[in-house]
Amino acid sequence: MTAAARLTDVRKTYRVGSLEVPAVRGVSLEIEAGAFMAIAGPSGSGKTTLLNLLGALDTPTGGAVEIAERPTAGLSARDLADFRGAHLGFVFQTFNLIPVLTARENVELPLQLQGVGDRAERRERVERVLTDVGLADLMDRRPTELSGGQQQRVAIARALVKRPTLVLADEPTANLDSATAGEIMALMRGMNERLGTSFVFSTHDPLVMEHARRLVRLHDGLVKSDERRDGGSGVH
Amino acid sequence: MSTEARAGRLGPFTLGRLAWRNLRRNRRRTWITAVTVAVAVLLLQFAMALMMGVERQSFDNLINYQTGHAKVFANGYYAAREDLPLDRGIAAAETLQVRLRAVPGVLATAARLTFQAQLSNGSDQLPCVGIGIDVGGSDADVFRIPQAVTDGVYLEPDRLGMLIGGGLAEVLGVGLGDWLTVLAKTRNGAFEAVDLEVVGVLGTGNPAIDRGTFLVPLVLAQTMLAMPGAATEIAVRFRPAAREGATLGRLRGAAAEAGLDARGWREVESDFLALVSAKRTGRTVALVVFLTVALVGVTNTILMAAFERTREIGMLMALGLRGAGVRRLFLAEGALLGLLGGAVGTLVGAALIAWLAVSGLDIASFYGDMDIGYPVQDRIYTAFDAGALLFGWLLAVALAALASLYPAARASRLDPVEALRHV
Repeated sequence: MTAAARLTDVRKTYRVGSLEVPAVRGVSLEIEAGAFMAIAGPSGSGKTTLLNLLGALDTPTGGAVEIAERPTAGLSARDLADFRGAHLGFVFQTFNLIPVLTARENVELPLQLQGVGDRAERRERVERVLTDVGLADLMDRRPTELSGGQQQRVAIARALVKRPTLVLADEPTANLDSATAGEIMALMRGMNERLGTSFVFSTHDPLVMEHARRLVRLHDGLVKSDERRDGGSGVH
Repeated sequence: MSTEARAGRLGPFTLGRLAWRNLRRNRRRTWITAVTVAVAVLLLQFAMALMMGVERQSFDNLINYQTGHAKVFANGYYAAREDLPLDRGIAAAETLQVRLRAVPGVLATAARLTFQAQLSNGSDQLPCVGIGIDVGGSDADVFRIPQAVTDGVYLEPDRLGMLIGGGLAEVLGVGLGDWLTVLAKTRNGAFEAVDLEVVGVLGTGNPAIDRGTFLVPLVLAQTMLAMPGAATEIAVRFRPAAREGATLGRLRGAAAEAGLDARGWREVESDFLALVSAKRTGRTVALVVFLTVALVGVTNTILMAAFERTREIGMLMALGLRGAGVRRLFLAEGALLGLLGGAVGTLVGAALIAWLAVSGLDIASFYGDMDIGYPVQDRIYTAFDAGALLFGWLLAVALAALASLYPAARASRLDPVEALRHV
């Protein structure tokens, strides 16, 4: 099976004034296709940096990042944007929906950015994925007319609609109550199993870790542990 | 792979819809900015219409009272016209005028004899321009002098009378029924004087005429200047529907055949037209600068909008929107502000301009008798020109987009990681 992403001795150093701050100090990881993986660790451990590297939002200062078998090194900002558009989905802690667009229009956006020109096709795909995340009746509502959990469902639909290789979720449950958080995790796990899309989370939340089939713990920019729990406790 | 070409950007429809809804996010700010744009565009439209109206009126004035559409001179007269030379006259003969009137597009011709003279009221003496006009004949077919008589009557062929500009009459302190002495050098260099009664006062709105010209019957001028049957020029009026350039070309041909020199009014009045053109350029530059300054509000609005939506920009970039796409989104918002404000300003402006094009603006109450640099008087009528209105509107759109260029470019250069971290 091919890897969804591969990190080889990845380093990322930020420069703050004359100071060099290492955020990731040599991480090698292979994320298999169909993974459902959590990256955990205290603040400053490098998990957000790692997620940004996996999301092609940032490029490493050392080592190699490959996503869908393609290295991100040397890509221009524009090529990175196109690459994200083609291969990656994002779910954010604060949902980050566009408030002036309806759920349907928010989910349609990635397809337009990907250049899916056929309106009927876009409409069909948007409606199918919104139905999949349980929002069949709320498609024409704006984000302000939806609950937090519903908004995160829209965000998941937006991430999945273009059938990406990898979905990256940065603390996806941090702004949700625990019952809703559980529902959201179960939804993502279900989509992961049905579609085979790989998911990687960064999290503090034990609930997210509990749902993950693989848990990578970071400490000081290095992998402290890499635990596989196949068939794991995610199925409740 | 035709869809690949569109990757990384939003289509025009999506872009427009998003821009419109984004503007509605902060309606008060949008309206305040749009109203600023509207007021600026309204002033621009009004100023342009006023400028065009004054120019059109000026040109009509020159044609109606001073030059007609063209003048035919003897060869060599035009170059020396400032001196009003009498030794380069032409025959005022009807046969020549018949030939000129036969030119297609020509409506009427009139012989005129223009000369330098001194006007004296007995105590003061003023240098003036005298013009002998064909009173019984065709002068009134070419010029609108009878309509410009504000006091008294038009000249009569067999009466020793003169028409005098209103300003000149005031300076000389004369009115209807008063007598003035005309002193002029004849063609032979001798001085000749004749007393004439003021039978009418002219108010053409053209300072050159109202303040420095008097009119006498052509025969009287010919006799006085020892130039029987002669004129210095034949003024020509074109038919209303005639194409000016083509008619002038034919007239030139006919004049050349007769050994004469025809000049269009734009050439005869080239100094004035150059002045008008310079004024127009200066004012247009001033207006565009003014509009640009007014549109700084758009820059500020887009700058604030982009700042408020930093995280959203990061999200859109994460989704695959290129920097150029971000730039286009904010440019579209700025242009839309220009479109909205420009539409309001243009509509209100069009209504105002349409009204003043009919009723006119009373400038006498602003300026009194002061010379405003154009031969117009009393009322200015704005020019209602749909093309100019559209131009003003589109200019507002273009300048609003231009005003958004800086904030849009700034937003497009955001680093998605930084932008997503923004709170």
